[in-house]
Amino acid sequence: MSGGGDGGAELLALAPLRSAGLARASLALILCGAVLCATTLLSEGGLERFSFAYLWGFSFAWAIVLGSLFFVALQHVTRAVWSVVIRRVAEALAAPAGLLGVLFAPVLLLLLFTDHCAPFPWSNADLVRDDHVLQGKAPYLNVPFFVVRALFFFACWGGFAAFFVRQSLKQDAGGGAARTARMRRVAAPFLILFALTVTFASFDWLMSQDPHWYSTMYGVYVFAGMALAALAAITLAVLWLRARGLLGQGIVSDDHLYSLGGLLFAFTCFWAYIAFSQFMLVWYGNLPEETVYFARRGGAWLAVALLLVALRFALPFFLLLSRDAKRSPRRLVVTALIVLAGELLDLYWLIMPQLHEDGPRLGWQELGPPLFLAGALLLHVARFLGKHRPMAVGDPFLSKSCAFHL
Amino acid sequence: MAEGRNLAGVVGLCDDVESLLRAASAVRAAGYREWDCHTPYPVHGLDRAMGLKASPIPAICLAAGFAGAGVALLMQWWMSAVDYPVRIGGKPLYSWPAFVPIVFELFVLFSALATVCCVLVLCRLGRWHSPLHDSDVMRLVTSDRFAVVLRQEDRLFAEQEAAALLARSGCREVRPLYEREEDGSLI
Repeated sequence: MSGGGDGGAELLALAPLRSAGLARASLALILCGAVLCATTLLSEGGLERFSFAYLWGFSFAWAIVLGSLFFVALQHVTRAVWSVVIRRVAEALAAPAGLLGVLFAPVLLLLLFTDHCAPFPWSNADLVRDDHVLQGKAPYLNVPFFVVRALFFFACWGGFAAFFVRQSLKQDAGGGAARTARMRRVAAPFLILFALTVTFASFDWLMSQDPHWYSTMYGVYVFAGMALAALAAITLAVLWLRARGLLGQGIVSDDHLYSLGGLLFAFTCFWAYIAFSQFMLVWYGNLPEETVYFARRGGAWLAVALLLVALRFALPFFLLLSRDAKRSPRRLVVTALIVLAGELLDLYWLIMPQLHEDGPRLGWQELGPPLFLAGALLLHVARFLGKHRPMAVGDPFLSKSCAFHL
Repeated sequence: MAEGRNLAGVVGLCDDVESLLRAASAVRAAGYREWDCHTPYPVHGLDRAMGLKASPIPAICLAAGFAGAGVALLMQWWMSAVDYPVRIGGKPLYSWPAFVPIVFELFVLFSALATVCCVLVLCRLGRWHSPLHDSDVMRLVTSDRFAVVLRQEDRLFAEQEAAALLARSGCREVRPLYEREEDGSLI
């Protein structure tokens, strides 16, 4: 039944991606995005809209890359065998973790070299002067400490992503068992660090846009969306590479797809659980300083909130409910696209109400940064896949993974 | 035929999974209905080879879940808005967000109970014991053989043809299965 029976010859023959189309498409995205960004910045009040849109696009790229890094570390820490055949695809998506640090530069530059960065009211000295709460939070929410924290986060993610990806790539040439043991040892402490850094990064970059409000569940809410977005991206990439024949014939089987679909389904439920728990606690407590957050995101934004429930929970839940659905490539592609759209909408719903209190607005001013950042991410992934094999052929558990049956 | 026993079916014994799957496919293709396979461990692909239909359990599980959610919603509406209305925290008597956890719990409870009950019924658990379990066939199956049992209740059943079919399709040994008249046990 499995392709692994044909031995290592077929696996070693797996070649890197040869697709000029993907690189060209991502360059086109980068160019489009850059032109839109430049026009936005030159227009009246453009800097404010640009900075919000940039955070939106950046959070999306961040979610996919960091979620993929989480997926890779999770496979090592659980010693998963089933996922070995698709782990390289997740590594390709996690590899741009270092690039994220460069892409975050505009936010840091705005904070350091302008009088304040619009999405972060606490960076505005005039506001802080008259605000007791912001003065109390100033020891944490101040520009130098924010920059130091961001640099620490990126150093941490970039370093560990480089470690996991490089070990796995070196494994292609040999030294399998020792490298696998090393990655498994590192994965556990990394996941603890990952939980802390992602939580604080979500506090810093997203929650602090409304610096009076706080929720201790915010970090796990952002993480749930991140894991979903990354799983959707990994599923899409696996199916795309498989359809082009790059993952061999019949090696990535229905049972592998079922496992990806199962994870996507599980995290859909997890997101709904976390999102509702956060909402219900605020609703039940009914304290003005907490409810203001959802009040702003209901009202004129209610349609977006309801669409979010559909895209994030209802649609993926019922689309993936049956056993056959999780094995069907077409169903998985449709669901993964919906999940990715859901992540974009979720981040939009988290960020944009701070700028447009009177209801959602989506003009070309908002589209520049997401297009630019998506293009940059895609180009990095395309170049990675163009240089390296699409499967971790040196992993000692590869043949077991090929023979994986549920 | 010997005294005091009647033919109950024909048993084909296989040595490995491949011949079992071949035999099962052949029996299914021949159109038999009253037959079963017995194996020492779960065999991948046997469901498909035997042509077993998808289980109705998932659909029942989902339906029971929705029933549970409906019951939970009705119950909470009746209790907190009709039978014993207490206003809490200035909220409306019918405040759906507060009901969601119970709706979720009863969804899970109803679907779990329905699933367990359906599994028991579909396994025909009302019948505590099958005489086949005491036969020599089962003694072999619980160690290292795979068996295909064709029952004489099947409308296609004829001893010679059934035995020939099994022998042709991969069973190494084919033997008749008898029912003893005095106690109904199978030998």
